[in-house]
Amino acid sequence: MGALLHLKNITKRYPGVVALDDVSLEVEAGEIHALMGENGAGKSTLIKIVSGAIKPEEGSICLSGKTYAAMTPAISNSEGVGVIYQEFNLVPSLSVAENVFLGQKVGGRVFMDFAAMRRGAGDIFRDLGVEINVDSQVGELSFAKQQMVEIAKAVCKEARLLIMDEPSAAIAQAEVENMMRIVLRLREKGVTVIYISHRMEEIFRLADRVTVLRDGRFITTLPMSEVTRKNLIALMVGREMNESFPARAAAPQEVVLEVDRLCGNGDFDISFSLREGEILGIAGLVGAGRTELAKVLFGAARMDSGEIRLNGKPARIRSPRQAIASGIGLIPEDRKDEGGFMDYSILWNISVMSLRRLSNWVFVSREREQKLGRHYGELLRIKTPSYDQLLKNLSGGNQQKVVLAKVLAAQTNIILFDEPTRGIDVGAKQEIYQLMNGLAARGVSIIMITSEMEELIGMSDRILVMRDGRAAGELTREEFDQRRILELASGL
Amino acid sequence: MNKLKTPRWGDILQSNMPWLILAVLCVVFSFFTDHFFSLRNIVNILNQNSYVIIAAMGISLIMMSGSLDLSTGYQMSMVGVVSGLLLTRLALPVPLVIFLAILLGIAMNMANALLVHRMNLTLLMVTVGTMNIYQGLSYTISDSMVISGFPAAFKFLGQGYIGPVPFPIILTAILFVIMNIFLTRTYMGRYVYALGGNAEASRLAGINVLGVKLMIAGITGAFVALSTLMLISRLGTAQSSVGPGTEFTVITGVLVGGVSIRGGEGRLSGVVAGILIMAILSNGMQMANMGVYAQFIVKGAIMLLAIGFDVFQMKRRQLAQSARRREKERTAKE
Repeated sequence: MGALLHLKNITKRYPGVVALDDVSLEVEAGEIHALMGENGAGKSTLIKIVSGAIKPEEGSICLSGKTYAAMTPAISNSEGVGVIYQEFNLVPSLSVAENVFLGQKVGGRVFMDFAAMRRGAGDIFRDLGVEINVDSQVGELSFAKQQMVEIAKAVCKEARLLIMDEPSAAIAQAEVENMMRIVLRLREKGVTVIYISHRMEEIFRLADRVTVLRDGRFITTLPMSEVTRKNLIALMVGREMNESFPARAAAPQEVVLEVDRLCGNGDFDISFSLREGEILGIAGLVGAGRTELAKVLFGAARMDSGEIRLNGKPARIRSPRQAIASGIGLIPEDRKDEGGFMDYSILWNISVMSLRRLSNWVFVSREREQKLGRHYGELLRIKTPSYDQLLKNLSGGNQQKVVLAKVLAAQTNIILFDEPTRGIDVGAKQEIYQLMNGLAARGVSIIMITSEMEELIGMSDRILVMRDGRAAGELTREEFDQRRILELASGL
Repeated sequence: MNKLKTPRWGDILQSNMPWLILAVLCVVFSFFTDHFFSLRNIVNILNQNSYVIIAAMGISLIMMSGSLDLSTGYQMSMVGVVSGLLLTRLALPVPLVIFLAILLGIAMNMANALLVHRMNLTLLMVTVGTMNIYQGLSYTISDSMVISGFPAAFKFLGQGYIGPVPFPIILTAILFVIMNIFLTRTYMGRYVYALGGNAEASRLAGINVLGVKLMIAGITGAFVALSTLMLISRLGTAQSSVGPGTEFTVITGVLVGGVSIRGGEGRLSGVVAGILIMAILSNGMQMANMGVYAQFIVKGAIMLLAIGFDVFQMKRRQLAQSARRREKERTAKE
């Protein structure tokens, strides 16, 4: 069979990064083609280029014999490309049948033929071997069932190429089996599938061929019969540590934080401890429950059971306010919506968590506020002509420093960093690393959640690998190894 | 980057836009009427609109924190008839009635805030419901009657003078100074802006969001009650139809005064200018013999203009920002 999709020399640049660098890729008609790579390897960018959501700077896309410089959503739609993103595109308030036929006309010119719609949806599900009530409201369904509706929607539009982005990330283990069966059924029906996943067992069960991307570059495409799990991981990692991380002598200190069988929101169940002045790296795939863990530790999400002990004493943390009062601070992943106040000044941001301490009775002392701002601004080397500058006008690195200054100014000594260098350019990353090391040296304890392997290995004193909400393993500095970490995270 | 240190003329102009518009309006109106700039006319306009400004100071707190309250008019209706009955039917002493009226205003706003918290809704949605409840209560309590015959002591609130200056103007000025200090100097005032700027970041910064909202509700309630007392004292009567409608004038004025519909922005001085703009326009429309209903059309159009301008400015700023960022990246690369 010939190639259904042929990407030729695709290059896509974003400010500061090359997301895809001269990538060529062939997907044959009727195959299940796995796409693998670490976070940031360029998988999502590639999907968006095929679906027409973004345009590449260079290269061409050849789909069913026709060549395009760039796709548009309209073209990809009419050519039968269906994409199932991690976030579903469903209307929760409508029924299953209505969602399956969303955007399509069934029936006459004015009135919809609901009976035909229900029959049509029923046929599709029967053909896929899915038991579902076509009248139930989509918002009431489980994620796994919603995913089935997404698949049926694509089938209904007669998709010939179906792209699935991490389809197993959001659904329960027991339901993955069912989803995989349906993917195989789609192949029997002649649908070509591009399947993106980190999970080895799925890839080996489903895929005919696999393409590995790394740092935006094409590495190789191989038939599944020619690869083993070990060498697939080696292909994905296969990179020398090229950033230099400042060395740091870590002396074992007292345990400051103990987490004992902490459960939250059904997302995780975990125990670990953190020592004074230590940087504990938390690794794991998307959906492993890392961000949820940080939110619960910070009191921003509900804790279901378990215990948090600070300096040996049980701590009650039910709100961010209590967490901060107990000396725990959070640097959220989403700087714009959770970390900072973008429309306000640097000084305003640094002082907002410390206003009570800066006040005489109810009046904020301008003098003490200025002093606090200067102190932390200099400590973190925030570069700005004036502290009256609005946060949104700063670079990502400087914004992150302001958020950190805000948290430090509130006199916290355990800091949870969720993706500390996301969206920050290389030079500023180094600075953030130095700051984190400097803080650890001063006795601040750090939990660092990161998806960047180099950062994880370069910065951590110890690494906790999470998988499906549980501790899959813990590595000391001597045991740090990229492959070992990936193996633990993907459940090898 | 360095030129950001010195404020640009455009910025100064923009941040004082409400006062500029007010000045232009005054000049325009002075051409049409001979006595517009007379002290008497200015004092008159200020005096008549004191109650609106006081209500606006409370409501702008809510708007700065990123919410919108539609029930204010009917809250005024409630406070008006309840205070009227307490003064006449029960003949309670004036200070006690003032105290109870303020308590009622606070209670109604707290009820709104608690419903927002409990039902996890926006204030706009909750007040669509409570405005009807307050209206119903008000008409039930007053039995649609006009209440009059207030004691002489009560009349001082809306009609009294201290020396040559009307008491409403003095009270408004005092409340303005207090509120300005509250908003710019106290940590609670900062929290109001924090909530309007980014509610989730506020929660994660350890701010007691519900506490701040209740505090805002309390202050707003007190201001709305004071505003109502001043109004019925000046009118000499209370009835359920007095109050409703004020909320739209106030919301429009607050928006014209530079408070963003999304919250987080705005200054109290701008709010006063915004209300005075509305007052002078309405004054002018009355002089031009425009009917009440025609005035509604103009006010509605102004409100749309103010919201449109606010959103337009935000979009323009975002564009300028991304352009600036792209420029910076380009120069950094070279």
